[in-house]
Amino acid sequence: MNYSYDFASIPDYMIKIMTAFPVTLEILLISLLISLLLGAAVAAGSLGRKPVIVAISRGYISFMRGIPTLVLIFLLYLGLPQILQGCGVNISSWNKMFFIIATLGLNTSANMAEMMRAAYLAVDKGQLEAAYSVGMKGTTAFRRIIYPQAFGIAIPMLGNNIINLFKETSLAFTVGVIDILGKARAITSASYGANKLETYIATGIIFWIVCVALEQGSKYLEGVYTKGRKQAAS
Amino acid sequence: MDFAFMAEAFPQIVGAIPITLLMVFVSAAIGWVLGLLFALVRRADVQFFSQAVAVFISFMRSVPSVILLYISYYVMPAVIYFYGQNIGIEINVSGIPAVVYAIAALTLNQAAYASEVFRSAIAAVDEGQFEASYSIGMNKTQALQKVILPQAMATAMPNLGGLFIMLIKDTSLAYYVGVYEITATANLLSMPTLNFIEAYIMTTVIYEVLSFVFNQMFRAEENHLKRFRAVLAAQV
Repeated sequence: MNYSYDFASIPDYMIKIMTAFPVTLEILLISLLISLLLGAAVAAGSLGRKPVIVAISRGYISFMRGIPTLVLIFLLYLGLPQILQGCGVNISSWNKMFFIIATLGLNTSANMAEMMRAAYLAVDKGQLEAAYSVGMKGTTAFRRIIYPQAFGIAIPMLGNNIINLFKETSLAFTVGVIDILGKARAITSASYGANKLETYIATGIIFWIVCVALEQGSKYLEGVYTKGRKQAAS
Repeated sequence: MDFAFMAEAFPQIVGAIPITLLMVFVSAAIGWVLGLLFALVRRADVQFFSQAVAVFISFMRSVPSVILLYISYYVMPAVIYFYGQNIGIEINVSGIPAVVYAIAALTLNQAAYASEVFRSAIAAVDEGQFEASYSIGMNKTQALQKVILPQAMATAMPNLGGLFIMLIKDTSLAYYVGVYEITATANLLSMPTLNFIEAYIMTTVIYEVLSFVFNQMFRAEENHLKRFRAVLAAQV
């Protein structure tokens, strides 16, 4: 067996792989937006008073937390077109990006919903009562009193969720989208697998750098946002 | 829905559960022990080692599991081969099953996450507990073993449960290094007849059941430890 590695070439591969970074960023941002909107709806549902809606929201969260992302991708990418075909709708020509963004959006929305629920419950009940006592209505009280406090509490968890979402974008290659890992795979297959090790290490380093940057960003934001505020019970 | 296919494929997919559970249990067992060691090394603040462990943990937590699996799959054979040459044995690396590489990657990933869990759990134990143990003549090891770790475990248990569920889900990625676990088996069976939706609905159900069962088990253990801590608090 021939094992010859050229670790000096890793920076070159990193530059080549980075050309696909905009695709990863696009997946990350769109699915982040979807997961936040969907997560807010699910969180509102799970905090509501209607037992049926509470049960559906809880069920959705626990379902999404139990299913591996890969299986959800396959369900949507391979399974959904078959079901819709049966209903006479053909979606096999849809952009592949749709499937990966939908998967990550759905999967992350459960984590986002849990985060929002925990942050909402962490805000002292007295705050809402105090807001009502000065004559605020429900939405105003939420927007001006509860939300700013809950947001501060949620920042560390939000940072974590975004990092996890970023890591999961690496599964985009499974539907054939050329994100950074897809690009790495394309590079290795173009050279018949000769530089597999170097390219995968290069991809790993790119993920490492971005994750550390995201982590620092989240810490910085937390510091800025909670400065001078009484830290609510975490 | 092709029910004949489902009836035929279901036992085969269920038959792949042991491989998934093998990866899960081995990775969790070794990974959590390693994680505890890492946490203690970082806590002890040993020169060089603590920093090295911190960098390693940061890398392992930042890189997606798929890439870790790929790196393990392509690095480990070379490492094992060269190690064999160094000690004078020609090791046939192609004879090593892929599941070994998958377990290696998942173990190190778990170790990194678990070390963070243990670190924060140990930090959450009151400093006075250490001082109290020393004051009655315990040394560091005894204090950790008899006083600190039992309390830290109660704090760590919910997070460890979360890690365990994450690990179950991550084993589905072992498909990409050629391990025939649940997802791979389902994919393989569905390919010839294109029964994707049936195969993946069954896979989903299996994963949901596994997650549910282990979630309940961890919750029971958590309550058990909590009660233990409540008793402690009552005695104080």
